[in-house]
Amino acid sequence: MTRLVPAASRSLSRSVSRGIGRVTETALGPYQTAVVRIGFSATWLLFLLREFPHRQELYGPDGPWSWDLAQQLIADNGAFTVLMWSGSQLWFELVYVLAVLASLLLLLGWRTRTLSVLFMVGVLSLQNRSIFMGDGGDNVLHLMSLYLVFTRCGQVWSLDARRARKARARVDPDDDPAPDRVGPVLWGVLGVLLLGGIAAGKLDGDPLVPVILWGMWLAQGVGWVVARRGQGGEARTLLDIVGNLVHNAALFVIMAEACLIYATAGWYKIQGSRWQDGTAVHYPLHLDYFSPWPALSDLMSSSGTMVLLVTYGTVAVQVAFPFTLFNRRVKNILLAVMMTEHAVIAVVLGLPFFSLAMIAADAVFLPTSFLRRLGDRATRVCARLLARLRRNGGTGPDERARETGGDPADKAAESPHVGFTA
Amino acid sequence: MDAYEAGPDAGHGRDEPGESAGTPDPEEAPRSALAALSLPYQLGAALAVAVVGVAACFHLGMVFLHVAPSNTATKEHTRTIDDWIYPEFEQNWKLFAPNPLQQNVAVEVRADVRTADGGARTTGWYDLSAQDGEAIDGNPMPSHTQQNELRRAWDFLLASHDAENRPSGLRGALAEQYLRRIVLMRLDREGAAGPDGTIDRVQVRSRSTNVRPPEWSQEQVSETPTYRVLSWWPVPDDEAAEATGAAGATKGEGS
Repeated sequence: MTRLVPAASRSLSRSVSRGIGRVTETALGPYQTAVVRIGFSATWLLFLLREFPHRQELYGPDGPWSWDLAQQLIADNGAFTVLMWSGSQLWFELVYVLAVLASLLLLLGWRTRTLSVLFMVGVLSLQNRSIFMGDGGDNVLHLMSLYLVFTRCGQVWSLDARRARKARARVDPDDDPAPDRVGPVLWGVLGVLLLGGIAAGKLDGDPLVPVILWGMWLAQGVGWVVARRGQGGEARTLLDIVGNLVHNAALFVIMAEACLIYATAGWYKIQGSRWQDGTAVHYPLHLDYFSPWPALSDLMSSSGTMVLLVTYGTVAVQVAFPFTLFNRRVKNILLAVMMTEHAVIAVVLGLPFFSLAMIAADAVFLPTSFLRRLGDRATRVCARLLARLRRNGGTGPDERARETGGDPADKAAESPHVGFTA
Repeated sequence: MDAYEAGPDAGHGRDEPGESAGTPDPEEAPRSALAALSLPYQLGAALAVAVVGVAACFHLGMVFLHVAPSNTATKEHTRTIDDWIYPEFEQNWKLFAPNPLQQNVAVEVRADVRTADGGARTTGWYDLSAQDGEAIDGNPMPSHTQQNELRRAWDFLLASHDAENRPSGLRGALAEQYLRRIVLMRLDREGAAGPDGTIDRVQVRSRSTNVRPPEWSQEQVSETPTYRVLSWWPVPDDEAAEATGAAGATKGEGS
């Protein structure tokens, strides 16, 4: 008996050290973080484009939630928004266009580390400017834009990864690579903007976002300095470890946040009489604000048994989901069910952007094998389309490079310093 | 030599969150990047592990307490939780819970209009929610201006007013101004004031109708709507002019 204790403690300490080894050495879930990045940036991009004709009414200085009203509320709660830096029309249009641009570039994975910060600034600036315009979809996006900043979400399926691949493909390592000019320029401009913001007293609200902005800016600067001082220094390894740690913690937070969303939604529903008597689903289908297709809504609630099954099924899936993470197969089945349900909600309740955001959040739980197959198929379709467009039959070197994009060995060798060079 | 690249990381494909992929015998694996560092750097890494781990757990704990029902812990630590959560981590996931909304709440408005010849008239009630509903019908991508603007402005007003419609604090005042600006914009789009008229004051009410229970249910609910009528709000001159301008700018834009 007494001999068992040291054995158990030895195995415990071994698994702890193995765990620490994993979270310090690797940025886990490269495909999952990439799909989350793509999912949320696409959602926000499509939303901004869709609302482009309504942008003045939603977030403009003369909209119903006027600049003045927003000013009073934000003076009270300290939320971060660059739209309060100026009440001018020009500034507003500029911020809106930059928010569109940031989501497009993050989607493509260009300078992911910097763009994820700018994406967050865009999301927070517009949403915090008019908080009463948003719904659950905006809320998920708001949180995820904050979390994404801490991840290395451009390890795969990004222009960054492509750039790193090309750099590695260069024949000789001591063949002097062209110095990166865009990065330092971007960094310098953002630094000036940050300093300007501080000097003008525009960052006096809640400290969270300014701290994130300064932190990321400094981290990038430190990363460059360390990288320049020689190739394999210990400082660089340490920075890399910190980057991996932060990434892994953020990935964990994203997953836990998704679980909290489902758990809250499920457990509160259990307490409702309509979810208990099995009629709940009938009601949202017949609210004027959530029934773009009344005939479809009627059809869906025409059978009492069906409504009961969907009502109970929704609650069961939402409550159960976090627990199924311990079993791969059950988790994948529930994931498919939830994504389908959200796709149905998109159409039936007229909530496409909410649904898209939820599906993007769900996607963090997709299996790597599935994501890689998806990626391969996407690259193949893209390559075929490109080839057809060019009409010259052969596959260009460009496409061949892209097709190898999903190769894990290739991936493992990818620049570990995305965090500080991007 | 970068330790990251040296690591036996061919297992990238298995890095699946939420699933514990068994790694081969850990004792056989080469020493980690961590072990290759000198002591001061190792201490730095250990500190980073501790700080990042504690920060992530603390954040999740706070979010959990924020979304949980009021309980012993939330009552004791209200300040800490709120300080951490607001404004950027606020969240509400009681989606259609505990019960889905079972009433269609329509916001309606009417106005007192002063005409150019000095006369005055009161318009009929405009059902603004019905207009939203029309815009949403058959629309695969309803705009937030149609689906959320008026609906949430009304919720905001209810949340910041007591049963006698008296505003409470800053939020109450903001909610009134916000709703007034929305209804003015909508009235202007309708041309409620006529060619030369100006809107002197507006009155808002809500009409709530129960959603009819499903046909297969024996349940009976009243079909008569209930009203909540607010007092008349005078319209400041500058705002009437501004509303006209804003509505003019957005007029003609498709939905």
